[in-house]
Amino acid sequence: MRFWAYSSITWPEVSFLAEDENGKIVGYVLSSVELAEDYSRSWVGHINSLSVLRTYRRLGLANRLMDMSREAMMRASVQIEYIQLHVRRSNRAALSLYRDKLGYKFHRVEAKYYGDGEDAFSMRLPIRSGRPRVRQRRTWVAILAGYIISSPGRLAKTATRCVKGINSVS
Amino acid sequence: MATQDWPQKDRKLFSELLQAYESKTLLKGRKTADQILKKYPDHGETMCMKGLIMVHLGEREEGKALAHQGMLKNPTSNIVWHVWALIQKGERNFPEALKAYSVALKTDKDNFNIIRETSILQSHTRQYEALVESRLRMLQLRPYARAHWVGLGLAYKLQGNLAEANRVFTHLEAFLRSIPVRDPEYGELILFHIRILEEMGELQQALTLLDTNAKERRLVDRPAIVEFRDSAQKAEWTTSAEQSWRELIDQNNDCYDYYKGLLANSDIDLNNLTEASREKALQILGEFSAKKANAPQRLALTVAEGNARHTSETFKERVKPYLEHALRKGIPSLFSDIKGLYAKSEFKRQAIEEIVENIRSSEEATSPQPSSEPTYYLWTLYFLAQHYSYLQQYEKALGILDTALKHTPTLPELHMTKARVFKRAGDPYRAVQSMDEARKLDGQDRFVNTKSGKYRLRAGMLNEAEEVFGMFTRKGAATPGADLVEMQALHYLTEVANASERTGKLNIALKRCYQIRKVFESFRDDQYDFHQYSIRKSILNPYTAMLQWEDNLRSHPAYIHAAVLAARIWVMLFDDPTLANTIQQPEKATELSKKALNKAKKAAARKATAESTSQDNDDTSKQKAQSKIEDKGLDAPLAKEDDPDGLKLVVSDQKLEQAHEFLGTVVESGRDRVDVFVALFDVAIRRKQYLQAARALRRAHMLDAQHPEVHLRIVHFSREGQCRSTQYKSILDESLAVVKPAELTLEALNSQYLQLHSTSPPVILACAKVSQTLDASRNDVENILFTALGEDVKLTMKDALSILSHLQNLKSPRADEFRIACDAKYKLSTVFKSAEEQAALRLQCIEPLKDNEVETIF
Repeated sequence: MRFWAYSSITWPEVSFLAEDENGKIVGYVLSSVELAEDYSRSWVGHINSLSVLRTYRRLGLANRLMDMSREAMMRASVQIEYIQLHVRRSNRAALSLYRDKLGYKFHRVEAKYYGDGEDAFSMRLPIRSGRPRVRQRRTWVAILAGYIISSPGRLAKTATRCVKGINSVS
Repeated sequence: MATQDWPQKDRKLFSELLQAYESKTLLKGRKTADQILKKYPDHGETMCMKGLIMVHLGEREEGKALAHQGMLKNPTSNIVWHVWALIQKGERNFPEALKAYSVALKTDKDNFNIIRETSILQSHTRQYEALVESRLRMLQLRPYARAHWVGLGLAYKLQGNLAEANRVFTHLEAFLRSIPVRDPEYGELILFHIRILEEMGELQQALTLLDTNAKERRLVDRPAIVEFRDSAQKAEWTTSAEQSWRELIDQNNDCYDYYKGLLANSDIDLNNLTEASREKALQILGEFSAKKANAPQRLALTVAEGNARHTSETFKERVKPYLEHALRKGIPSLFSDIKGLYAKSEFKRQAIEEIVENIRSSEEATSPQPSSEPTYYLWTLYFLAQHYSYLQQYEKALGILDTALKHTPTLPELHMTKARVFKRAGDPYRAVQSMDEARKLDGQDRFVNTKSGKYRLRAGMLNEAEEVFGMFTRKGAATPGADLVEMQALHYLTEVANASERTGKLNIALKRCYQIRKVFESFRDDQYDFHQYSIRKSILNPYTAMLQWEDNLRSHPAYIHAAVLAARIWVMLFDDPTLANTIQQPEKATELSKKALNKAKKAAARKATAESTSQDNDDTSKQKAQSKIEDKGLDAPLAKEDDPDGLKLVVSDQKLEQAHEFLGTVVESGRDRVDVFVALFDVAIRRKQYLQAARALRRAHMLDAQHPEVHLRIVHFSREGQCRSTQYKSILDESLAVVKPAELTLEALNSQYLQLHSTSPPVILACAKVSQTLDASRNDVENILFTALGEDVKLTMKDALSILSHLQNLKSPRADEFRIACDAKYKLSTVFKSAEEQAALRLQCIEPLKDNEVETIF
C-alpha cells in the first residue's frame, strides 16, 4: 500500500484508472518517473503495474491506459529517455501487447525476478524525440491529474483489489 | 552529578557515545556506554543512549526497560525524552512519541530537529493548532528556506485559517526570484494557492493568479477549469470552457465526465432532460460519432427517449448498430454495459431483447452452415443468457447456456455465467461446480480462481475454498489465508468472515473482523512518511487529498461491516457463554477435505524445505560477506500471529467492552447507518448503559423508524424498563416516548406494525420474534411466520432462509413444512433441501484435486 501511495502522490499525473459508467474500477495503470538505475542522471518512466478486469477485456483498455500514461510521461516536468517495464516470461498476451502493439523492445532477461522464481523480460520503449511539440494547451493533464488527485483512495482501493481477480499483466 | 560537572575526559567519552550512535557504530557505542556507566551508574542520559542502541541491536524489551529507567533518573534532560520519543515512534505509538518530544522541547525550545519531528507527529495526529505553532517556530529559526514558508502556509490551510494561508503564500510568491519556466514545484505551489483562494470565495483573485502564471508559463499548465465554470465570470468563461472541454475530449474521448461537462456547459442537465434539451444533447453527442469512441454513443443511448412514439425509433436505430458491433467484436462486458438502461425504461429493455433475439434467429437460420462469424452467434447467446438471468428467468438462461456450450465447450465465460445463474437461483452447489469448470479451463487466470474460491465460501465450504486460493498465494506463507491477510485483501477477509459466521465458526469470523481493522490501521500508519516528504517535494495538492482520504478511511463499507459483524458476534458469545467452549473443540474434517488438505500441506512442506535450503545458502554467504553486526533499526518488528483462528479471542472476558470499543470507531463514519446504531444498542443494553442504549435507539429510529430491526429494539427497550435504574428514569421515559406512543401496549404496537407492513417478510419475522418475547404461544408465532408464504408477499430466498432458520431455532415441528414449501416455490434451488441432502450435494459438487494439480499450479 505504501508503494502505491508513493507513486500516486509523487506522480499523480502519469497513472490512470479505467471505470465503467457507474464508477466501478475495471482497470488501471500505475506508473512513476524515476532516476535511471545506472546513475546516468537521466529520467526513466516506469510502468509498475497494468491490469484490466477479465470481464472487461477486448475493449482495448490496456492499450488505451498505456497510451495515456506514455503521453502523460512525455509531458512530465522532467524529460524522460525511455519507458521501462517488466513482464513475466510466460505472459504471452502481455508480451504481444507491449511488443507488437506498443512498440516496446526487448532489453534483457532478469532471472528469477518474480517471487515464484519466474524470469522477467525487461522491455523498453525509447522516447526519441524527447519532449513532443505541444499541440494544444495541456489542460487535459490537469484535469486527469486532478481527477486522480481528488481520489487517491481509489488507487489505494485497487491495490487491495488486485487479488480480487484483476489479472496482472505487468 | 550532571554531565557538565564531569572531568573533561568523561565529557569527551559521552560525546563519543553520541557520535557512535549518530554514525551507527553500535557496538562501539555500547562499549562506551558501559564504560561511562561503570563510573556513573546512575547517569540517566547514558542509560537511555545504551537502551536506544540495544533496541537497534534487536534487544528491544531490555533496551526499552533500560531507557525507561534512565528517564526516571534524569527527567529534566532533553536527551532522555528524545530517546524515549524515538523508541515510541519505532513502535508506532505516535501520541506517546509526541508527548515525549513536547517535554524535550520544554528544556530545549530552539532545537530545530525536535521541532521538525514534532511537526510531523502533529500532522499525523491531526493537531493542527499545535502544528501551526511548530511551523511558525521553524520559520522563525530558519526564515530563508522556502520549504518552511510552504510548511507554514500548509499548516494554516489544514487548520482552516485560509486568510493566513493566503497571506503566507502571497508573501512567498512576492519574494521568490528567478523561477525557471515550467518549474513543477512552483507550479504546484501556485495551484495550491489558487485552491485556497477558491475556497475563500475569492474567485476573481484566483483567476488573476491563474492567468498571470499561465501567461508567464510558470504553471505546468494544470488550470482547474472544471471548478471555475460556475464562477462569476460565467459568460466570459463559457466559450473558453467549451473549448477546453473539447480539447479534453480530444485527448481522451472515452471519459463520460468530459461529455457531461460539455453538455452542462450548454445548459443541458442530463438528470432533468426536456424535449428540447434532449434533442440538443443528441445532436452534440452526434458530432463525435465519426470518432472511434464508445462513450458518446453509449451516452446517447441513455439520452434517447424510449416511450414517446416519434423518438422511439431513434433509440432502436441507435442501439441496433451498437449491439451488433459489440457482439461481432465479442466484447464480454456488453451486457453489464447495457443493463443500466433496463432499470430506467421497460421500453428499452424490450427493444434490446427483440433486437438480440432477432440476431439469434437469423444466425440460427443460416445453420447448420456456420455463418461467416461463428463467434457472433456465440456472443449473442452469451448476451441473452445474462439478459434472462437478470430478469430472473433462470431456466431460460440455462437453456441458452447449454446451447452455447454445445457450440463452444471451452469458453470459461459460459461456465462462469452458468455458475452465476445457479447462484441466483438458489443452488450454491451447482454454482460451485460450474465455476470449477471455468477455473479448470483457464488455470492461469487469477480472476476465475478467485471467483471459484468465493463461490465455495458462499456454499459454506471454507477449507475447500482455501485450497483453491492456495493455487495463487505465495508458497512460503503459513496458509493461503495468511498470505491474503498480508496482501490486505479486504474482499477475501469479508467473505471469509461472513461465511464463517454463517457456518457457526464464530472464532474465525471474529478474527477476520479484527484483521480487517488491522488493515485499516496500517493504511493509517502508511501516511507517516508523507508528512515531510510532501513538503520537501512541494506536492501539496495530492498530499492534502491524501489526508482527507485517510480521515475518511473508517467510512469504508468493509470497515463498518467488520465493526458491526464483530459486535454481533461478541453479543452472541455473551448471550450464550457455552458457545465459546463448543468452538474450542476441533472440528471433524470431512474425508475429502482432509485428504486434499494433507496433500496441500505436503506440497507446501516440500516447497518450504526447498526454499529454506536455498535461503540457508544465501544466509551463509551473506554472513561471510558482512561479519558486521546488524542494525535492526528502530521500527518494531511485526508481532507474530499467535492466534490465527481467534480461539483465544473468543474466550475473552471483556466481550461487551471489546464490542463497544470497536463500534466506537464507526459512530462518526457510520452515522447514517441503521445497522451501526442497532449494534450499538445491543451492546449498550447488555452493558446496562441505558442512556447510551436510548441514544442509539433514538438515532436508529430517526434514520428509519419503520425498520424491522428498530421495531425489535423498541420492544426490547420498553421491556427492559422494569429493571431500569431510577436515576435517569425521566430521561429514559422521554426517549421511549419518542419511539413509541406511551398509551400503546407492546402487543398493540406489534400488531399495528404488522398490519402496516403485512407483505414484508423482514417485518413478519420481526413481529414473530416480538410476539415470542411477549409470551405468545408457539402456535401463534408459527402462524405469523407462515403468512410469509402468502401470495401477495414478495418473499426473497434470503428472507425465506432467515425465517426458516428462526423456525428451526424455535424447534418448531412446522419447520420442515415451511422448508418443503419453499423448496417447491423456488424450482431450481437446493438451499431448502434437508441438511443431509445438502451435505451430500456439497460432497458431490467438487472433485478432489487431482494428484498433480497441487504441484503444477505453483
